[in-house]
Formats: sequence, structure tokens, C-alpha cells
Amino acid sequence: MNRRNFVRTMCLGGIATFGFPIVNFAQTKGGGRFVFVLLRGGFDGLAAVVPYGDPAYRSLRGAFAFDDSELVALTETFGLAPGLAPLRELWQKDELVALHAMAIPYRTRSHFDGQAILETGIDKPAGSSDGWLNRLLQVMTGHRSGIAIASGMPRSLTGPYEVQTWSPTQLGAVSDAYLDRLGTLYRTDKVLYGHFESAMQQKDLVGEEPMAGGGARRGGITPLMQAAAKILRQDGGPNIAAVEFSGWDTHANQGVAGGALDRLLGQLAEGLMAFRTDMGAAWADTTVVVMTEFGRTARPNGTRGTDHGTAGAGFIIGPKVAKSTVHSDWPGLGDRALFEARDLKPTLDTRAVLKGAIAAAFDLTPAQTDRVFPGSSAVRGTYELMG
Amino acid sequence: MNPTLRALNGFGLGARPGERRRVTDAKGWLHAQLHGDVSLSVTPPEGSSSAIAEAVHAFRMAGQGDDQERREARQRARRALVGIAAAESSAALTERVTTERPFVERLVAFWSNHLCVSMGAKVLVAPLAGSYEREAIRPRVLGRFEDMVLASAKHPAMLVYLDNFQSIGPASRGAALGGRGQGQRRGLNENYARELLELHTLGVDGGYTQQDVQELAKVLTGWTVGGIGRAPGQQMAPKRARQSRTGRPDNGHIGFAFQEALHEPGAKTVLGARYGEAGLEEGERAIRALARHPSTARFVATKLVAHFVSDAPPAAAVDRIARVFRDTQGDLRAVSAALVDLPEAWSESARKFRTPQDWLVAVLRAFEAAEVSDRAMPLLRQLRHPLWSPQAPKGFGDTTQEWADPDSLLNRAELARTIARRLRPSTLAQGAQRIDPRMLLDVVDVPAGDPLHALLADGSIAADERIALALAGPAFQWR
Repeated sequence: MNRRNFVRTMCLGGIATFGFPIVNFAQTKGGGRFVFVLLRGGFDGLAAVVPYGDPAYRSLRGAFAFDDSELVALTETFGLAPGLAPLRELWQKDELVALHAMAIPYRTRSHFDGQAILETGIDKPAGSSDGWLNRLLQVMTGHRSGIAIASGMPRSLTGPYEVQTWSPTQLGAVSDAYLDRLGTLYRTDKVLYGHFESAMQQKDLVGEEPMAGGGARRGGITPLMQAAAKILRQDGGPNIAAVEFSGWDTHANQGVAGGALDRLLGQLAEGLMAFRTDMGAAWADTTVVVMTEFGRTARPNGTRGTDHGTAGAGFIIGPKVAKSTVHSDWPGLGDRALFEARDLKPTLDTRAVLKGAIAAAFDLTPAQTDRVFPGSSAVRGTYELMG
Repeated sequence: MNPTLRALNGFGLGARPGERRRVTDAKGWLHAQLHGDVSLSVTPPEGSSSAIAEAVHAFRMAGQGDDQERREARQRARRALVGIAAAESSAALTERVTTERPFVERLVAFWSNHLCVSMGAKVLVAPLAGSYEREAIRPRVLGRFEDMVLASAKHPAMLVYLDNFQSIGPASRGAALGGRGQGQRRGLNENYARELLELHTLGVDGGYTQQDVQELAKVLTGWTVGGIGRAPGQQMAPKRARQSRTGRPDNGHIGFAFQEALHEPGAKTVLGARYGEAGLEEGERAIRALARHPSTARFVATKLVAHFVSDAPPAAAVDRIARVFRDTQGDLRAVSAALVDLPEAWSESARKFRTPQDWLVAVLRAFEAAEVSDRAMPLLRQLRHPLWSPQAPKGFGDTTQEWADPDSLLNRAELARTIARRLRPSTLAQGAQRIDPRMLLDVVDVPAGDPLHALLADGSIAADERIALALAGPAFQWR
């Protein structure tokens, strides 16, 4: 018996499964899917969603300023960096909200604290060990299942609600025969059997081709996003995913068009677009949010890079956005406008954006989104961004 | 349930071939391990206090500059710090794999995780995490709980990890001198005080308030680290700060320092107890009081019973351990002995899913590996259980729900296959020429009739694949 048959036999046998409950799509209220893409390291929002129309832009950014001709203009003030050009299609189809001057609700320039706050969804670095995506799974009703597409369990999904994990295979190749024999062994274990069965199903869904041995890193985020699509597009499978993409801590030599940061942005755009393509029909009810722990200094530093800053940019992507727009209460780049005279000033709370996005994805009430982000009731969700 | 295997796997770190026959009295074998002092583990040369001080000093000296030379110096220094962490990790895991007192080593790992630091949080924790376990935790796992918490509180690894080293009393002389330096917030940092209450002693429902957290944080102001060249007090006096960047601490080593100038003056009240101004002694008294608090006995007992008996710790067992903890004022030798004597620990339903560290250590013990190289560290990272690197101060969990997810089972299946393929006679003890896969039936509890018996005897399957099946199969996942 090969592994595919093995899995099928188990499903048909009606044996309880833990990971992939078979849910009729028609019964699934909302049917939303949500992906949280975390850019670890602090990505430079001013080099991604470029405020080329701000009067202070050129003098502030100096050698880092893009030529207008290199950008994909979105509005009279903002344009996408050249690496993000593939997102133009999303903009044209009303599937892209670019967020700017956005920050976590606590002023820190520490990766550790910043990521902790973004991932726990509270307003201080210590005080919760649960992630906000896990809290979302606890709060929402109807079909829900979370999965981490990452080599470790991200803080955002950590918590009492059971979630799945999927990571690129890196520990060795195994044959179907070996897994079949293991399946025979696991069948005797009432507790572990369902988990093992889910593992085989995930392996079948995703396959192993592009992932072996660090390929994910070389290929940017695209292989991870393609794997995420294979998992999320199944009806009744996981519908909440966390994906991580690191390498954004550009202290030196971040470059301009074609430079190191722009290449990373290109990988991000390629990954997002590949995900959209691979989701197929399921894209219609999918929402992706892209965020980072902090923005970077507004001015270049002495090593042609930028240091840890405060506010930055992010994205909401998917057909559930009301219309393509740049959402920002733009503070400006003048000397007096900068936060502590060095960073883009925060005018938008990450939690406001996340509340709006999950409310639209899963038909949540504001009271429910308040429970996902404890202590945030004074922070109004940006519900108007979503259709 | 085989009581000997329960002792070897549940309380110990994994049976070795033949042990289930050699150990005839399961409880006696465990009790005997609690006699005498805990052996001090070998300090790797990289982890000597002078080596650590030197590496940290080099890292500090590399400074924040942006030029090529400084960047390279910083990279070299960072490599040295990581090298210390790697040597310490190998030494600690080798101890777990080769020890003759595996129950005691399990206790070391348990308490080290209960009062955890994390190398992933701050680069300065990396070179200190090994010495933290060796110096603060290990010597006290059969001593008094309050002594262990106090040693943890004063160890530079903890002081750095949870920020207490930069906490400053708002009304202290230091704060008056300082203001805002180097873009950092100057003042009280509650991080350690909160985790001390929530995670180390009373537990989150232990009956303390935000006010208690703040007051405890004030009590602990001035508890800082000497010898890392940039203590907050030095930052506050700019001229001395510049000197300290180049100067070594008096004794050349990194260690606990109480700085009166940063200590919040005046009386404080924590959990209803008043602490009159007494400098360093305030904190020592407060920590001992927290460790003796009834909530602490209950919190610690619950966690211990959950670790040794079941994810759902039976109430009667928790009561018994909490009582022993209270009656003996936190004598961990008595508490550990009481765990062995819990009837619940020997019931059919008492079993725990092996964490990735448990699993890998048990695999290596099954083959009587002589040492663990630092190549094991990236493997543990891929299994999501890197040594001394939990994501949050809560430490790693030990429940089935946290570790038996589908991807983790698949990871173990893959790693088991890789390990089995690479087993060579030269890596085996006693120069064994080949391994009979059936020897693995010796180290885990496999009921008669389990398909593993037939698979391991099936000569049509390659021997290394049969070994992998035993390591990856469900029987080996439980302890």
C-alpha cells in the first residue's frame, strides 16, 4: 500500500482525524482564510512604500532617494519601490492596501521586544506568552485551524489552542515504505495516530520538491508561500497561517534600485504573487497581512544602511479589501515631524489594522476583535479598509 | 507498565541496553541517586569565567561603530560568544547522555527550564547560559528552593535576560544624575520582578497585584552586573563610562554587583510585608519570602507533578508534593524523593510525551553515545527545542499538546532515519560490530502483540530502517 492509499483508507475508514477535519464548505460560515506574514528584522518602510511626493523626501533620504521613474506610482505622494513592481497587478484589481506610518503600540527599538509585542498583540513586551493568532483561534467560532509555515513555532501562534506546523524538510529523506510501516505502528497509539495521519496528509499536499536543504532561504519566501497555498486552499483544512521572512535588518549596504533590500522586496512580491496564483479559487476569500516589528531610521546611516527606527509600512492584500489605497495619516518627513528627530512618526497602530483585517476575514464583531487584542478597546479597528 | 522502564525513562533520561535487567529495585535506584551532593559538571575550557569575561569584553570593545574594521571586530567577537555557547551546550548534553544519575540530570534540566534564561533573547545571554545552569541551578537541585531562586536572581545571565541589570530606582541617586542616556529609558524595569512572581515563585494566579510587581522591582533595584563594562551607573557618569569601556572589572570576571546608587531608597511593601530600607538585604529577604509563600509550594508542586506524572496532574499528588514542599521549607531533596513515592507516578496512565530534547537524549543513551558534539544543536533547533533558548521567559512546555504536532512527528521520523543510517560500529560502545534492532525493545515499553515486535524481526527490512522505525515509532515517543 503506498502512502496516498494509506491516507485515503484512513479517511474513508471514518477514523477521527485531528488536523484535517472534513468540513463541508457550504457549512463553513464565512469561509475566510488569513495569512500573517511577519518580516523579521525591521523592514524599511520608506524604501518600500516610497513617499516620493513628500517635499522633504529627497533631502532626507539623500543617496537613498529613488528617481520617480523607477517607482510604481500609487498616489501623488506614494509609489512602490521597483522590487515591489509585481504588486501593481493587485493595486489595479483593488486588492492592495499599503499601510504607512504604522507601528506597534510601544516604543522600542529592540527586535526582541518589538516582535514580542507584534506577535502577542498586547501593548508591552512582557505580560502575555500567548500569541494573538492563537487568541484569534480561541475567540472565533466555526471552522478554524491554524498552521505555522516556519521552522519554529512563531510566538503569534503559541497558546492553548492546538495548531499545526509545517516546515521545509531538512532532517533527511524518507521513503514511502518507511512511512507506511511507521503508520502501522502509529495505528496502535490512540493519542498520536491522528497527528501522524495529519503529517502524512500535509506531506502529500505540499510535496517535498522545492524545499530540501535550505532551498527556502535561497529562493526567498516563494517556496514557503507556495507551500502555504497548497495547505490553505484545501476546504476544511487550516485557514489561519503564520509565515516568517527574515533578513530585513539592513544596517549596511541596503542599496537602492537593484540593491540588497530591493532584491528582498522582489522576493517578497514574487512570493505574494505566487501565493495568489496558487490559491486558485480559494483566493476569493483570502486576506494576507504583511507587517514588521519596527521601521527604520528615516535617514541613511554611515554604512549606507538604516538603523532601528519606529514607524514603517505594511500591506493588506486580498479581494476582501474595499479598494486599493494607501492608508496613512501621513506625518511627513520634515525635521520637526520625525519621531525623536530620527524616525518616521507612528500614526497608525498595528492592532487597528489587524482588527479590521480579521473582522473582515472571519465576520468578527468589534467585541471579538477586542478579545483577540486585550487592552485595545480604545484602538478602533480600521474596518473601513475592508469591503 | 514496567516499573523499571518507568524509572529509567520517566524519571531518568532514557534506558540503556541491559539496564532494565540490572536495575532490580526501581524506586530504590531513584532514591539512591538523591544521596550525596550533585556532581559538578565539567566546565569546558571555553566556559571558564576568564574566557567568558574576555569574550564579552571583546564584544563590548568592538563598539557600535560602522566602519569596516569595527564591523569585523564585532563579528569576531560575536563568533567567540557563540563558540562559548556551543561548547557549554555540548558539555551539558554530554552530561545528560552519559550520566549515571539520570534522575538528577532530569531535575537539573527541569529547574534550569523553570528558571530559564534564553540565548535567543540577547546576545549577552549566549555566553552566560551554560555557566548559569552550572553555577546557579545544578548545585542546588537537591538543596533549598529559595537558595536556587536567589542564585538565579544574582546570576548575570538572569540579570541580563530579564533586564534587572538596567533597572534603576526612580528616586535613587543614580536616576537623579542620569536623565535619558543613549536613547534608552532610564528608570524602573519591572520585567524580572514580574516574572519572578508569575513564573518563578507564586504563579500567575498566586495572589499578587501590579502594585506588588512595582514594589518588588524597587526592592531589586541596584541588583546589576559587574564586569560587562557598561553598567547603568557607569553610563550615568559620562567620564567614568568612557573609562569603563576599556577597563576590566576589578577581578576581571563578570558577576553580580549591588550598586547602592541605583537602589530605590525608602521602605517598600510586597505582598503585605514591609521591607524597610536595607539595600541588598531587602531583595534577599523578599526573594526568600516569595519562595516560602504557600502559592509557590502549590505552583511548583503542580509543575513538578505535571512533569513527572501526567499533563493533567492528579490533585492528590499535587497536594502531597505541595505539603512536602511547605513542611520542609522547599527542601528539593525531600520533594524529589516524594515524587518517586507518589503512587500516581507508577500508574498505567502516568506517562509523558518526550520533548525533542528528551527524545534525542534518549536516542543517544540507547546507543550509549560517549559524547554529544555541537552538531546536535542545530538539530535541536530544527526540532524546535534548542537548548537554553525558549521564546519566552515561561520556558519550554512539556505537554503532549505542545510537542506531538504532525510536523514534529514527521521531523522525528526523518531524523530517526538519518541517525540510523549514520550509525557506525566506531560510534558504538564496546566496539559492537552491528546493532541488532531488537535491542531497542530493551529500552522502551512495547506491549506484547505490538506490531513493532514483528517489524524489528523482519529480516526483509534493512537493519538501519528497522532501527529508525523503533526510534520514530510511538513507543519511543513516550516516557
